[in-house]
Amino acid sequence: MKYVGRPIPRVEDELILRGKATYVDDVELPGMLYAGFVRSPYAHARVLKVDFSDVLKTPGVVAAFGPGDGEPFSFAPGGKVRYQGEAVAMVVTRDRYVLYDALEKVAVDYEPLPAVLDINDALRPDAPLVDESLGNNVVHDKVYEGGDPDRALKEADVVVEGRFATQRIIPSAMEPRGVVAAYDGDVLTIWSSTQVPFDVRKEVAKALGLPLSRVRAIQPFVGGAFGSKLLVYPEEVWVATAAYRLKAPVKWVATRSEDFKTTTHGRALTLEYKVGASRDGRILAVTGTVYADAGAYYWGEGLADTAAQMLPGPYDIRHGRVRAVAVLTNKTPLSAYRGAGRPEATLFIERIMDHVADVLGMDRVEIRGRNLIRQLPYRNVFGITYDTGDYPTAFERGLERLGYRDLKRWADEEAKRGRIIGVGFSVYVEITTFGYETAVLRAERDGSFTLYTALTPHGQGLATALAQVLADELEVPMERIKVYWGDTAYVGDGIGTMGSRSITAGGSAAILAARRLKEELAKATEKLLGCKPVYSGGIFQCGGNSVTIEEVVKAVYRGKAEAQLTVEAIYRADATFPFGVHVAAVELDPETGFVRPLLYRSYDDVGVVVNPLLAAGQAIGGALQGIAQALYEEAVYDESGNLLTPNLAFYYVPTAAEAPRYEVHFADEPHPSKHPTGTKGIGEAATIASTPAVVMAVEDAMRRLKPGVRIDETPITPEDVWRHLR
Amino acid sequence: MKIALRVNGVLHEVDVEPRKLLVHVLRELGYKSVRVGCDTATCGSCTVLMDGRPVKSCNVLAVQADGAEIYTADYSDEVMEKLRGAFRRHHAAQCGFCTSGMLTTAYYLVRRGVKSEEEVVEGLSGVLCRCTGYQNIINAVKEVAGL
Repeated sequence: MKYVGRPIPRVEDELILRGKATYVDDVELPGMLYAGFVRSPYAHARVLKVDFSDVLKTPGVVAAFGPGDGEPFSFAPGGKVRYQGEAVAMVVTRDRYVLYDALEKVAVDYEPLPAVLDINDALRPDAPLVDESLGNNVVHDKVYEGGDPDRALKEADVVVEGRFATQRIIPSAMEPRGVVAAYDGDVLTIWSSTQVPFDVRKEVAKALGLPLSRVRAIQPFVGGAFGSKLLVYPEEVWVATAAYRLKAPVKWVATRSEDFKTTTHGRALTLEYKVGASRDGRILAVTGTVYADAGAYYWGEGLADTAAQMLPGPYDIRHGRVRAVAVLTNKTPLSAYRGAGRPEATLFIERIMDHVADVLGMDRVEIRGRNLIRQLPYRNVFGITYDTGDYPTAFERGLERLGYRDLKRWADEEAKRGRIIGVGFSVYVEITTFGYETAVLRAERDGSFTLYTALTPHGQGLATALAQVLADELEVPMERIKVYWGDTAYVGDGIGTMGSRSITAGGSAAILAARRLKEELAKATEKLLGCKPVYSGGIFQCGGNSVTIEEVVKAVYRGKAEAQLTVEAIYRADATFPFGVHVAAVELDPETGFVRPLLYRSYDDVGVVVNPLLAAGQAIGGALQGIAQALYEEAVYDESGNLLTPNLAFYYVPTAAEAPRYEVHFADEPHPSKHPTGTKGIGEAATIASTPAVVMAVEDAMRRLKPGVRIDETPITPEDVWRHLR
Repeated sequence: MKIALRVNGVLHEVDVEPRKLLVHVLRELGYKSVRVGCDTATCGSCTVLMDGRPVKSCNVLAVQADGAEIYTADYSDEVMEKLRGAFRRHHAAQCGFCTSGMLTTAYYLVRRGVKSEEEVVEGLSGVLCRCTGYQNIINAVKEVAGL
């Protein structure tokens, strides 16, 4: 009857496939008002005056809020806007079409200020200041150090220096952000397209001085997030405040261009590196600086730091010093995007391995084999302890299973026929899981079970995976378990779905809750049968008597025995570390520079795989996002700070036509984490691994035409390829 | 302006402003499966079948659809149910936001008698999906199309 490990289709699909899943824009309440925001066309400007006199005379306009309205309406803090799209005022109307007319009628006087768009410009002493209170544009600067990097560099046979830059990515969840809030005079309820309803509730309660018990945040179905919905955004507080003050339901849903300008961007980290290696290819020291182009507000704390601390990757490097610097610019704030610092760390170290291999004239597989960590657990040079795994074996087996060497031979064969095919691979170790997570489990009187999880799934299929985990622990059919999520009325506090932590943190919390519930029911059974029972397959047995779990639950509900029928478990989940090898093949058209991804294959040791169908879904979808980082996507600004890629017509999210054929493998001998689920997380692995694999493949293809070409930034557009090959 | 729409076989007569988009009228009529993901007719989440052809309903004025026969992802017949089954088995939906557009487009492709994987891929390329990497959607449609 074991469910864990089986490719079970999702229980969530019934609603989705019938078009009945309720996303935030589908929430309808009587008397709904519609909110919208007046947003700055300038990247950097003083806001001199916001004039509502025209808009308030417009039929259908209910209210307008601006910088003069006090907290929590924190429009244009310090009297200025710092990026194009930053809100300066809010208008509330009775009708959506009236709303967009009304927004045009708010007159704002701006005094444009010089904008700073590039981190190098931002670091100059005479640079315009994004935040005057800092005195410069450096908002964060921290050094991570271990061993004796200076000595190691001195003693190295070769020292290799370089720079690698990643572009700004717009996360582009298909559902733009949106909020509905309603206040009935007693409880303030917020529906938000978010990954963090618990944080939304806390922030709104704090802003309005309400007790948490009178604020309820609901996460309806969420149409994708990828880390871009894990902060509480100002609009969530503002819409809730408008609903509270107006005592009416208020809805705001971003237009796509509004979403692109105001939902956090990702990546945009650059590494300047200097590494030392021995002649035989051992990396002795890694040093450098990671710069984050943080945008206008430092919301993306820790991105450069994660990239710095994970820079050694799966390699045994004993000396290191990496500085993590975040620089403010007049652009949309930077924050998490699927992987959040780990994709950059992996891309950087994989590029460094290739760079050193080139300098030494070594094979790219060989240099990695020489440096891989041999013994786990392993404490990396910056103090992060990788938990379990066998990297050398998984690396070799992965390359073999994925057919890396066969693909290289095939590319050689095809080259004879004039096709330019490049093959690349990447190796990664990923840090996942943090914090705590909450599960509330209730035994129902008919023998079914209700799980309320603090996880906040938005496509991962966690209702299915959690039911599988619980069904095994409770030894009951999966159909008897119903999982609810995304409502602070169910669970007091929690974190949510992000960082590949869900099944490990939330699943383990569910297992602990199930164990506690079984203990409670065993206590009740002891009272009923007069002896200590043993539980198996839904039945308690002792002294030749047996009762089913539902009989015990029913007896407790009728007061015949005492037990907790609703139990809560809060699980602290420390970090765990997936490892894997991925392979990519691309075809390059030398005439146009156009690169087509042909196939993508992954081999991951993610510990226990709860549901291979869903895990493969994460791997495939994650891979295309990383491939798109390598080849297609980039948020482009002009020198005045206008976002030139403000919607999906200009910003290139790949279509079905760009997707390669994927093959997903999980390790033959997985190394489980120490968590009750044994899982390590699969949500971000392929996004992390795919960018460096594709970059290597493109470089491999280009070198067939021009030996020695090196890629030092993403994306590699057809124009870049063409320029490199000229 | 008064217009008449037949949606999934049900006749609706509505009074609309001339500037109102079809997607908004459909959503206000309760067809919430028709979703808005962009402002530029790029994402395809709002794709419906209008007189037998897939259209992005954010790019059609409601008045242009006067008298039209419209099908949305809420529709049920043998082909649509087969697609639902295949989408479920292949794990072709994740967050689900694009799924309505995928289903209506897939329905059109299957009904039209799509002949090859290339045609499936090309046919689906007007609907963006950020979660799935497309492969499972392509496989689900191929299965129902008998490819």
